[in-house]
Amino acid sequence: MSTLANLWSLMRREVWESPFAFKWTPLGIGGLIILFTIVVLVLGSRFDAQMAFTVDAMRMFADMPPEQKRLLVSGALFASSNLVLQVMLLIILFYLAGSLYDDRKDRSILFWKSLPISDRVTVLSKLLTACIMVPALFLGAIILTHIVLLLIASSYALMAEINPLTHLWWPASLPRLWSVMALGLLVQALWLLPIYGWLLFCSSWAPRLPILIAIAIPAGLSIAQHSYSLISGFRLPELNLGLIMLKRLGSGVLPGNTTINLGNGLEELQFSEDLYLSFSGVLSHLLRPEMWIGLLIAAVLIFGAIFFRRRATDQ
Amino acid sequence: MNAIIKARGLRRSFGQVHALDGIDLDIPSGRIVGLIGPNGAGKTTALKAILGLSSYQGELSVLGLDPARQRDQLMQDVCFIADVAVLPRWARVHQIIDLTERLHPNFSRKQCLHYLEATRIRPQARIRTLSKGMVVQLHLALVMAIDARLLVLDEPTLGLDILFRKRFYSNLLNEYFDEERTIVITTHQVEEVEHILTDLVFIKDGQLVLNQSMEAIHERYTEVMVRPDQVEQARALAPLHERVLFGRHILLFDEPDREKLASLGEIHRPSVADLFVGLMGDNA
Repeated sequence: MSTLANLWSLMRREVWESPFAFKWTPLGIGGLIILFTIVVLVLGSRFDAQMAFTVDAMRMFADMPPEQKRLLVSGALFASSNLVLQVMLLIILFYLAGSLYDDRKDRSILFWKSLPISDRVTVLSKLLTACIMVPALFLGAIILTHIVLLLIASSYALMAEINPLTHLWWPASLPRLWSVMALGLLVQALWLLPIYGWLLFCSSWAPRLPILIAIAIPAGLSIAQHSYSLISGFRLPELNLGLIMLKRLGSGVLPGNTTINLGNGLEELQFSEDLYLSFSGVLSHLLRPEMWIGLLIAAVLIFGAIFFRRRATDQ
Repeated sequence: MNAIIKARGLRRSFGQVHALDGIDLDIPSGRIVGLIGPNGAGKTTALKAILGLSSYQGELSVLGLDPARQRDQLMQDVCFIADVAVLPRWARVHQIIDLTERLHPNFSRKQCLHYLEATRIRPQARIRTLSKGMVVQLHLALVMAIDARLLVLDEPTLGLDILFRKRFYSNLLNEYFDEERTIVITTHQVEEVEHILTDLVFIKDGQLVLNQSMEAIHERYTEVMVRPDQVEQARALAPLHERVLFGRHILLFDEPDREKLASLGEIHRPSVADLFVGLMGDNA
């Protein structure tokens, strides 16, 4: 029980340390998305001074079948969060690379180690900040953005004499959208756990520039492997560490990272909300063997990070 | 006697250099121990081993725990201030008090705020903006508000003015120290801690040169100020060290015949600084 309370305090500590990255960045990007929307609407009103086309378009939208409306509204909202989540991933990667290094550099590790907190709990708190705390804060900003975007759309709907509740808010299926995103963020964190673990591991022993070391080692290995394949008659090895890591970073379950199975060819791809808005789609990632291999590697790397953290002092 | 710190054959090497070269040490509770030595003698290395911040060879137990493996448990009853301000620079004063309160079961926020009242430190201030003296004041307020059994201070007053240093040690002695507690201090400003120490440990090249209570040291060492014509007589008694002050020769003796010395000149109790020079050598 007290371990949980300690973890919570330590995670709040991380937010106190990086309020710009964890709180103001997602709010700022949300604000940018809203600003961009407003600019487009203002520009549109210059061309459509009587608002005739806009009102027409709204009414046409209102006449669409319900599934179509759901797809449009929730799909637009889902896609609008893309930028926020891409930036979040970058922030998490940089955060983890510095998380066990910065306090060694500025010597405040001597203060943190004077508290009755084990190194295991310390490392775990950094990992949970990356996997839960930061995604929760970014999701909060996304939810705010969604609400503001819907409010803007509602004012247009009122102008076109359309009921915004039945035609916008209800089709947006907000509770479902947000809970699928929350679940997606958690599954995404599990999927990326080996990468997170690798960064923590480098952060806990690197004498300097942990992020560069974390990139240089896999990059160097895959280049070495690639060069070897040049010598050995262009037989490219199947497994290339750098490519595997990049592929893992680039694929996932969130907008921008959604893997669409094109097994039957592009023609048969049905654009439906099942592509992004289904719990089972998100959870199916848990059944992939790559997921479990990744978790195993992550566990080893995290143990390594704790091992080096135990020995770490200010030098 | 319940030993707070017990070390047997404590060693730590960095390559060819033996920072600690087999130290045996017993520190009972209710003492204020000064760990004194020249730069690079192994003071900080010894303290780091005691605090579970570095690995070591040999036996070491602090409050009955193994510091290298049970640091988190140990830190419930041990506090330390390292030789530089190590509070996180990004934090605000109230955040650091909050965190310590949440993470340390023996911390009293009331006590801490009481100590801070006497300073100009504001709760909203960022540690980055505080002066060096204020950061030490804050750290000390945090540490003194923790009900700990062992307090380790590694050069706590480095770079602070003399008024602050005086107040620091008087606070420590009057408001914090009691028989249940033990304090270990390292410092170069030996004159300032001399009057509060109960025990003195000299360390040089990773080895203990002296390890005794202040009473025993006062019994054992004597200084005599000799007139120039009797210097040869005094030198015949095998002094540990000799220095010249205003034309008078001052000689330091280990367990001398006091009556004989008294006939040679004025007898003094040597200060810690004089002992340090006498035992460690001028070129230490």
